[in-house]
Formats: sequence, C-alpha cells, structure tokens
Amino acid sequence: MAVQEKTARASLDDRLEAHGFTRRDFLKYCGSLAVMLGLSQAAAPQIAEALVTGAESGKLLPVIWMEGGSCSGCTEALAQTNTPDIPELVLETISLNYSETLSAAVGFSMEQARKDTIEAGGYVLVYEGAVPTAFDGNVLLVGGEKGIDSLAETAEHADAVIALGSCACDGGWMASRPNDAHAMGVQKYLADRGIVTPVVNIPCCPANPEWLVAVIVEYALMGRLPELNSKNEPVQMFNQTVHDNCPRRGHFENGEFVYRFGSAEEAKGYCLYPLGCRGPQTFTNCPITRWNRSISWCVEAGAPCIGCGAINPLHPQRNWVDESTPFLKRHRNISLGDFHFQPPVAALALTGRVVAALGVHGVGMKVAGRVDGGADFEPERRWDVKHGDEAAHEAGRRAAKLYEELDARGIEPKNDHRFRKMREAKRARQQEADARAAAARKTDDPSGKGGDE
Amino acid sequence: MAHMAHYREAHPLPFVVTHWVNLIAMIFLICTGFYIHYPLFGGVMSIARGLHIFFGIVLILNCLVRVILAFFIKSAPAPGTRETVLDVKTWLPQCDNRHQLWAWISYYLFLRREHPIAAKLGVPQKIVYLLIPVLILFTGYTGFCLWGTTAGMPIFAAGLDFLGGPMKVRILHYFMMWVFLGFMCIHVYLSLIEGVSPAKLIFFWKETPGLVYDPETMNIVGFDGMGEEPDCGETFKEERGE
Repeated sequence: MAVQEKTARASLDDRLEAHGFTRRDFLKYCGSLAVMLGLSQAAAPQIAEALVTGAESGKLLPVIWMEGGSCSGCTEALAQTNTPDIPELVLETISLNYSETLSAAVGFSMEQARKDTIEAGGYVLVYEGAVPTAFDGNVLLVGGEKGIDSLAETAEHADAVIALGSCACDGGWMASRPNDAHAMGVQKYLADRGIVTPVVNIPCCPANPEWLVAVIVEYALMGRLPELNSKNEPVQMFNQTVHDNCPRRGHFENGEFVYRFGSAEEAKGYCLYPLGCRGPQTFTNCPITRWNRSISWCVEAGAPCIGCGAINPLHPQRNWVDESTPFLKRHRNISLGDFHFQPPVAALALTGRVVAALGVHGVGMKVAGRVDGGADFEPERRWDVKHGDEAAHEAGRRAAKLYEELDARGIEPKNDHRFRKMREAKRARQQEADARAAAARKTDDPSGKGGDE
Repeated sequence: MAHMAHYREAHPLPFVVTHWVNLIAMIFLICTGFYIHYPLFGGVMSIARGLHIFFGIVLILNCLVRVILAFFIKSAPAPGTRETVLDVKTWLPQCDNRHQLWAWISYYLFLRREHPIAAKLGVPQKIVYLLIPVLILFTGYTGFCLWGTTAGMPIFAAGLDFLGGPMKVRILHYFMMWVFLGFMCIHVYLSLIEGVSPAKLIFFWKETPGLVYDPETMNIVGFDGMGEEPDCGETFKEERGE
C-alpha cells in the first residue's frame, strides 16, 4: 500500500521507472511527440524537461473529458492497455478533472467538479462521441441536463475543444444512415450555436492516444494549438494518406495484390487494394504512429484500411461509415431510395442498355435500307417547305431536279466503293449464273425435245 | 442516294491529328482506369498509373489545343463543300442547323424517311461535341482531385471538399469514364452505320465521292464523282462546258 501510495505521488521520472520505462524510452517518446508537433527531434529534451517540470510544479493543465453519443472506445484506447504506457503516464501529468468513464467520483460531486473547472477557466475540453441533437437534445441526458447544453456550456468557456474520434469530428458511426439521433460533430454543433471556441479534430475509430497527447502537450507547453488544415485536423498528422506511408506500398506499385483472405498472396503480405483498402483516400499517419505502443496497425495486422479517419466536420451525412461501406468493395454503395448498389453495377446496366439500344437501332437501319449510305436526302428542309422563302424553295427545286437526273443516269452515290464493288460483283455473278442457266437450257433442248414420255 | 462528298476541308489535318490523339489517349485512359479501379491481374499497377496520369494530361492538353485551334483554323461549314470558314463557326449553331433538331431526332427514330439536310455537324452532334470538352476538363479536374501529387493544392482540395470527399469524387470520376465509354459507343455507331466515308476522312484524310453542298443556298447542288464516277449538277456545268 505504501509503495502504491509512493508511486502515485512520485515524480514523473520515478513513475516511469516504476513502470519499467527508462529515461531513454521517455526521450524517444518525446522525440516522436516533437516530430508529430512539427518540431525537430532535437526538441525532445526540451519537451521532456517541460513535461517533468509541469508535473513537479503542480501547474497541471485542467482537462474536462466529456462523452456524447459514444462507445467510450477512445477512452478505452487510451486506458485499456495491459500495462500503462508512456502516453498514459504523460496524460497523468494533466489534471483530468472530469471523465465519465475514468473518474472514481460519481453523480452530483462529479458534475460539481465540471462546474468548478468551468468557473476557474483556462481548461481544455476533450469531447468524445457524436452530438445527438434529435428531440431537442433530449436523446442524451447527463446528470439531468441535456448533453448538448452541457457541451455548449463547457465548450463556450474552454480555451480549446479537442474533438476526439471520428464521432466527435463529424458524427461518425452515430451519424450514419438513417441517423435517427440527428448526430453531428462538435465543430458543426458549436458553429450552429455560434460558439467560437477553436476546435481541433482528431479523427479515427478509435482515435490514437498519441495524437491526443501530441496536441495536449503542444498546448500545455507552448500555449498554442497545432497548425490545422481545412478540416481542423493537425496538419502534421493528417495531411498525407495512409497509402502514402503504407509498408505495403511497394507491393501496390509492383501490382502484387491480395484478392482473397486466406490466400497465398495474403500470407506474403501483398497489397490489400482489391479488398477495398481505403488507404489511398484516408488522410491519417497511422502507418507512422501505429498503435498500441507502436507495435502494429490495421494494414500491418492484415486488414484493409476501412477509412475510419476520413471526416467531413461540417457534413455529418458524409461520415466515414456511409462513405466506405461495404468496406471490402472498392466503392461505397450508392442509394436510390431503398435500393443500394455498387457503382459498377449501375454503370454496366446503363451502358448495356445503350449498347442494346444501338443494336436494335442498327437492325432498324438495316431494315430501313439506310446502312449503305443512309436514306435519301430531303430536297428541301421540311421547315423551309412550310416557312422558307422563295430562294429556299428554288434551291429545293434544283436539288429535286438533281436527284431525278442522278436517278435517270443510274448514279447512286453510296457511301463507299466497297459496297459498289460488292454490288457489281454480285450482279456479275448473277449474270454469269443466268448465262450458264440459259446455255444449259439451249444444250438441253435438242435432246429433251419430244421425249418419249 | 444520300451521301455527301467527303472533302478534306471538313477536317483539316491538325484536327485529324487531334482526333487520333483523342482516340489513343481515351483508349489508354479507359484501359488503365479499369485496371486502377480493380486490378484484375497483377503486375502493372505503377505502369498503369503512370500511363493513366500521362494520357490524362495529354487528353486535357489536346482538348485545349483543339478548342484554341478552332479559333485559328478554317474548315468547311458542311460536308460536300470546299469552301471554308473559321472552324469555331462550324462548331457553334449555324444557319444550316436551324429547325433541324427535331428533323434529326425523328430521322433516327424512323419517324421520317428522308435524311435531313445538315451542316457539317447535325444538331444532336453539335450539342454533344460542345459538351465533350467540358466533360474532358471536368473529368480531368476530378482526376487531379484524386491524384496524391495534386490533391492537396488549394484549387483541387476545394473541389474535393465541394464534391463530397475522395470517395464520391472517385465514383464521379469512374462514372465519367462510363459516360465517355457510352459516348464512344454512340459516336462510333453513328459514324459507321451509314458507311465508312466519315471514318476514312477523319482517320486517313481520304476523300470520297458524293453530293455537293452549297453553303450559300444551304442545299445540295451537284454530285462530285471525283473522277471515279460522272459528275452531275449545276456546279459542274461550266467544267463540262455546258
């Protein structure tokens, strides 16, 4: 007990040591944080020092961790490691004043902790899960208060909001069809309510704890949020695709693919592109950060990327689930009412109909005698016949005369000599056959004439 | 009896070249595009992507060159004439096309027996050909939105966001390919169904005999046998010394 007590109250260095991490491990981790923050790895010692000083000085960054329409998976990703890892220990150096999943306190005293933190100000809100707005927000009640009101109140007074996980970014799973809860992301909800607190989106399902730590550390140490892209994601982590950094990329370029799970190609670790891998359109650095203390990640473990990091913060209907299902197909499904189908099916069906229609039309053209040069020209445009001036009529009369002349002279301007040659050859064969038949009749006549029968 | 003479003036040599480039680029784009969509066999992904991007750029440049040349090169406003006007005028609606849309549709639907008199391009053809450059540029744009190298540029990133994200743009790009495929089916069918003269002209720049058209009276005035068949009509009276 005494040892546990000591460990709990010990400095960050002591706690790291107690959990089996060396100073070297810690510095390496700080180096990776520095890179994620867009700094040089040389900044690692400064980050380490700042973290240790922050922990010792007791000036901890107050954090409120709220959950909306959530499966708590993002909390789990952080907390449910078999042994505490460095990110978790670093996060212990913040003051997590409110967390529905992790707090020992419950009920009124916990809600009071949130209110106290809001009153004190200077805190960061981490929001996990979607914001369900249906029934005027009554679909989610926490401590007798609407979830959307708690969010608005906490976000309004926060220094910054970190939307953690794809659900918090744009609604994620929660916002997928039919989205009965009218779920959306934090950024959109706050924008709709006119709350201007800056929002940092950290997508994925669940979000990688390392990304969260990187953002919090940057804010705690430097007092600024990381540079954000157009989706309010930290540029350094979310501006390249999974495909860009994928360890299987070489197989992709070589055209070495897995077409079936359990195949020899899968055993060779070939590219999962034909199995619907969303790596080429998912902007996260999963292959670099990796998961579970950088042990592995989805594609390395043999599963195609399902695009859980693809977010559209202001468009909940473009959540990654609707945009990517079915996961193992190259395209998402298209929906027309209750019909859901793959784009190639629709494209093939439409083009097939066009080709079939052309086939039928071709038969019609043949029957109508238009295949060999088209139909005869109208002598005068039909509209001109009714509405044209005298000059048009005159031109029409001339054309009609010309056609008669051509007919009279037996000139038939068909499309190509080939057809004419074919016609001539056919005519010649016919004449030859007629001549032979006539000759045969002549020679037959004397012998056959006046037969005995 | 219904075939215009096919003169080279209808398709000047630069346009024969751009048509070839279009054809080759589109065939490569469609084949490699299918492969990139789903690689049915292994081995050539990097080649397929390289060719796809290369020919995509070729197609866009070729399209721009073709459109720009239309403002500088003269071509015949109708088949069956050697008179020329600025090509762009043959591209946009002409007097010769007036009131002919329904005539063309009814001809192709077998609702009338006679072939409508046309300018170089019939009305439906003109509508489609005006649309094709737009489609090429739009498809190219969606392609650049998807290509990793250019996807991050603000002009393409904005489009990617506006069109609904990478998956929707990918599907849109894919559908556009099918639109071109459908267009090619109809285009090839209509150019060949009444004979191969148009194809001979656009591919091999080879002229074929047929009726002569007078752009001034906007009607047919003679028959040019090109030395293979006797000439007829008022156009040739002087030559024949009549």
